[in-house]
Amino acid sequence: MSDVLVASQAPGGTDLSVVPGASGARQFWRRLRAQRAALAAAAVVALLVLVALAAPLLTAIEGQDPTTYHPDLIDSARGGVPVGSFGGMSGDHWLGVEPQTGRDLFARLVYGARVSLGVALAATVVQIVIGVVVGVAAALGTRWVDQLLSRFTDIIVALPLMIMSLALLAIVPSGFPRPVLVAGVIGLIAWGNIAKIVRAQTLTLKGLDYVSAARLSGWGTWRIARRELLPGLAAPVITYAAILIPQNITVEAALSFLGVGVKPPTPSWGQMLTAADVWYQAAPQYLLLPAGALFLTVLALTVLGDGVRTALDPRAASRLRVGTGRRRETKVGQSLAAATEGVGGSGGPGGPGGSAGSGGSGGSGVSGGSGRGGVS
Amino acid sequence: MSGFTGFVLRRVVGVLITLLAISVIIYVVFYVTPGNVAQITCGPRCSPAQVQQVADQLRLDDPLYVRYWHFLEGLVAGQDYSTGTAVQHCPAPCLGLSYQSDQQVTQLILTKLPVSLSLVFGSMVIWLILGVGTGVLSAWRRGRLTERVLTGITLVGVATPVFVIGLVLMIVVCGELELLPFPQYVKLTDDPEQWAWNLLLPWLSLALIEAAAFARLTRSSMLETLAEDHIRTFRAYGVGERSVIWRHALRGAFAPVIALNANNVGSAVGGAVLTETLFGLPGIGRELVHAVDVVDLPVVVGMVLVVGFFVVIANALADVLYAVADRRVVLA
Amino acid sequence: MRQSSVTARRLAAVSVSLAVAAGAVACGPEDNDAKATSGGADAKPAKGGTLTVLNSNPQQDFDPARLYTSGGGNVPSLVFRTLTTRNREDGAEGAKVVPDLATDTGRPSKNATVWTYTLKKGLNYEDGSAITSADIKYGIERSFAAELSGGAPYLRDWLIGGADYQGPYKDKKGLDSIETPDEQTIVFRLNKPEGEFPYLATQTQFAPVPKAKDTGTKYEEHPVSSGPYKVVKNENDGERLTLERNTHWSASTDAERKAYPDTIDVRSGLDSSVINQRLSSSQGADAAAVTTDTNLGPAELAKVSGDKELAARVGTGHFGYTNYIAFNPKVKPFDDPKVRQAISYAIDRSSVINAAGGSSLAEAATTYLPNQKSFGYTAYDHFPAGKSGNAAKAEELLKEAGHAKGLTVTLTHSNAKDFETSPEIATAIQDALKKAGITVKLQGLEDNDYSDKIHSAKTEPGFFLAHWGADWPSGGPFLAPIFDGRQIVKDGANFNTGFLDDKSVNAEIDAINKLTDLDEAATRWGALDKKIGEQALTVPLFHPVYKRLYGKDIKNIVISDWTGVLDISQVSVK
Repeated sequence: MSDVLVASQAPGGTDLSVVPGASGARQFWRRLRAQRAALAAAAVVALLVLVALAAPLLTAIEGQDPTTYHPDLIDSARGGVPVGSFGGMSGDHWLGVEPQTGRDLFARLVYGARVSLGVALAATVVQIVIGVVVGVAAALGTRWVDQLLSRFTDIIVALPLMIMSLALLAIVPSGFPRPVLVAGVIGLIAWGNIAKIVRAQTLTLKGLDYVSAARLSGWGTWRIARRELLPGLAAPVITYAAILIPQNITVEAALSFLGVGVKPPTPSWGQMLTAADVWYQAAPQYLLLPAGALFLTVLALTVLGDGVRTALDPRAASRLRVGTGRRRETKVGQSLAAATEGVGGSGGPGGPGGSAGSGGSGGSGVSGGSGRGGVS
Repeated sequence: MSGFTGFVLRRVVGVLITLLAISVIIYVVFYVTPGNVAQITCGPRCSPAQVQQVADQLRLDDPLYVRYWHFLEGLVAGQDYSTGTAVQHCPAPCLGLSYQSDQQVTQLILTKLPVSLSLVFGSMVIWLILGVGTGVLSAWRRGRLTERVLTGITLVGVATPVFVIGLVLMIVVCGELELLPFPQYVKLTDDPEQWAWNLLLPWLSLALIEAAAFARLTRSSMLETLAEDHIRTFRAYGVGERSVIWRHALRGAFAPVIALNANNVGSAVGGAVLTETLFGLPGIGRELVHAVDVVDLPVVVGMVLVVGFFVVIANALADVLYAVADRRVVLA
Repeated sequence: MRQSSVTARRLAAVSVSLAVAAGAVACGPEDNDAKATSGGADAKPAKGGTLTVLNSNPQQDFDPARLYTSGGGNVPSLVFRTLTTRNREDGAEGAKVVPDLATDTGRPSKNATVWTYTLKKGLNYEDGSAITSADIKYGIERSFAAELSGGAPYLRDWLIGGADYQGPYKDKKGLDSIETPDEQTIVFRLNKPEGEFPYLATQTQFAPVPKAKDTGTKYEEHPVSSGPYKVVKNENDGERLTLERNTHWSASTDAERKAYPDTIDVRSGLDSSVINQRLSSSQGADAAAVTTDTNLGPAELAKVSGDKELAARVGTGHFGYTNYIAFNPKVKPFDDPKVRQAISYAIDRSSVINAAGGSSLAEAATTYLPNQKSFGYTAYDHFPAGKSGNAAKAEELLKEAGHAKGLTVTLTHSNAKDFETSPEIATAIQDALKKAGITVKLQGLEDNDYSDKIHSAKTEPGFFLAHWGADWPSGGPFLAPIFDGRQIVKDGANFNTGFLDDKSVNAEIDAINKLTDLDEAATRWGALDKKIGEQALTVPLFHPVYKRLYGKDIKNIVISDWTGVLDISQVSVK
């Protein structure tokens, strides 16, 4: 509590806490450790990642694999419903078998974690890389560069995610590895909102004293961007990433539902959900397993994301402790904090420094529940 | 005032440029999409000669820029077309004719749009009530059971694809409990009561997905406001907690919630694909997916433009609303 | 038909036809129950009420020129009468062709190259005006217009001058090979003998269209009815159709359509799982509901088969349809018959059937022709694989072919979610061929791409999933497009995917086409199928079985082998 207060009340009226910097890493961990819920969530996320990585080992222990058919374990005359209670759960098949094929559900679930988490993570990385590059370039570039990039971002935001994915996924030749393709397409289409957030945040940072000082002392744009801006962007970007990952998992599921996601025999949670929803009455565990796994993942990532945000941006932490915070200095910072707190909340228009004027209002605006509309 | 006029003007020009660019992108993307459009349109058993006739009729063999030019022409000047027995006029702004059904795309959009708007705006009411309500509770009564339950529900919405939530809701509510009829779209103008009853489940399914974002946004905005000096002053003067929360703190959440809402409404008009598909609502999203399936380019372009229009307008609106609601922000 | 989505396309092949089953080939016990309880003597059909039809695919093209149907379709057949039609009876009886507008199924002459029909007396449109033979000619001519494309190819291929005719909008003179010497008579002149012309005359292109009422591409919004019902409402491009009685239709001229309900309310655009859920709940108006395009899926079957009340409301039928693996013998190693035979031996049909929905929804196929009498079904199994494959025999053949160390091949399939050419089936085959030392790589294509590739002589893959459905229940439209060497198309959609051009096969096809005795023709088609099967150009996998739920109040279930699904012209809701 005390260090939070200290950090948030940096001297000189300039709020340095948005720039954790390298020296802030230790503080960050200390703050993160102080939150029990976030720690628990981190443990769950770590466990999920571990399960995904250790999928071959885990299935070897079980003695199964995700692709072998077990026709003897299903009732062909009844549509292929698993034989036995609880979907054919047994010592051999810990979570039962898949209807119609008899493939082992535990194996498919843990291998599915690889694909689902991998696709979501990769897509998020693509989104963030493009978003940060475009956002920073727009904020630091000339008026024309900013206009061009901001307008381009607007276009990307306005294209319907599902429709573009359908079209793009059909264009690429079939030899391309499907999970990579799905991740790439999601990443290439849905980076607009993060670019907007980054641009607004960069504009704010640009107006701050120490960046101006760096500029005056003759640092090049690239050096300023790398040394002074990127650390300052870490908080909103990481927080937004925590929101994007679960979103991307559901986008992958939605693409499977529309028939363009990851293809069998590769298992993914999204694909399992798609195949399983009609089995809700006849073989409920088939649906509940991937749904439960997905829920757990989203819950853990959400709580972890909150924790990370609090640890990165102690101002917010202090504000969250009602009555102890202090007014913020900049308006964009405020709306951004809101933006990253809410799922992609709102980036306020413009910025404080006159620099915002050069961007027009096009690039400011509202960051959205980007994928949300898309996967509904 | 002139500053405001300039702002609006710049916005309008920006919107037009954005929409034009979107149409170009769609044309290019669908030009390289596999699938022999003429064969798909004609039917699988058409002979090469017939396929050629269809290609000629749809001008599919023209170079891409010529086809795009015709599209722009139709947009500005309208277009005449033959039904075989008569010549009909598609008035400007004409988005062309569907390859598949030979309907005017503008007509098609006019029949699908009310469905999507009904879905989105009805759902919006629910997601605002559920999301903002949960947000207020979690800012005010953190850790209480109600708050935890509501937060849990909104997270289920985030974690579960709508095709699962919607189907399970439908099976339980309509099939097993028989509380509601199985949804089928009834026009608002035909029977407002049936319209609402039939849309209730789709509204709920869509709202569940969106509510979590609003809950988080409301909570954080309120907590920020509650931390501000003037609230402390109110408290010090003995203003009741209830009044502080509802009168003052919630006001702080107003601007960002409105902004997020405008944005989400915009993207859901064409983005509620899965909800529309599952509940059989003949809206824009479902029609778009179908059009992509059969490479019906005029329909895809027309509908993506309409969807893009809503997103762009919603974003612009959000900026303005944000500015109006939060006077601290300066219009750039 | 114009295609809708991938799944829609497959369903369309079916909806186009429609049938009803019961008792036909190999029904499970519950089907016979269904027949007993619902179609039994206690349920006497009566007039009145509203029949609701819950469908996934809209009747987007409700124009008789554009519809691609087998036997005139289910819903379309309520509005469009044709020269001949399908016999509305259960099972194999229902695969016969019977007169509709005409007094008989057609009078052939000169080697079956000239077909003459006489219209019944007292036939009227919905406005009371008389139906003439000129209207039938005009209806057929319209189907040649590029604006109204979508129908079956036979008229174009068979009628003299059909290949070059561009329809009445461009060519006012009309098609000379259709003559109407008087208002009751119509004569067709064909460029070759076609004994199965009566089957063709069941398609909606043979419905009369009054020239004065033709509105071109807009005609589908309100086509003029010749059948027991007329369109009173067509919303959202065929998504909601309301049909009411056509008072000018007379049962005395129509022996086939019973037309019990007063109103037919067709609601489409529904998700298939929702349709099945609604039919199983059977509440309110859904008690009098059927579907003409949505089968029970495996999950739904699992639920239904555990519930006696529901199981009694399932109609089972067989539509002439075969799912198979196709080889392109121009691509190595499939040029070697031994490799094709080895794969035929190695195939594990039971796992393929499981992937397709299980033994209640698919029957193992070893013949290319569907296992029905009207197709001239002749049982054969040239490369017996048993239930789950003969890996030993396959390995032996591969060794002979010089692939002793095993073989790696690529199986091309569609990414559509149709459980026919879809990844699930391909994956099952991949798993099954492993046992014989054959490594299968999967190449999944988006459906449009897949369709383009497999139907183009230039891009056809060597080893792919395919299916074929009957345009009418006979061997002709099943074998000729696939195995007639003169039907190889080099620059367009080609269906002879094995590029078979065998003089004796071609000659036999010609010989059978001359037959006007359809029973004799069927026997010869069966024998021809058996002979072609020896070449192992395809590996037949399964014939689908259609199971569909209907509401509690539905009576008089008739499911023919022609369509495999319940015939709504026979259904009563009272």
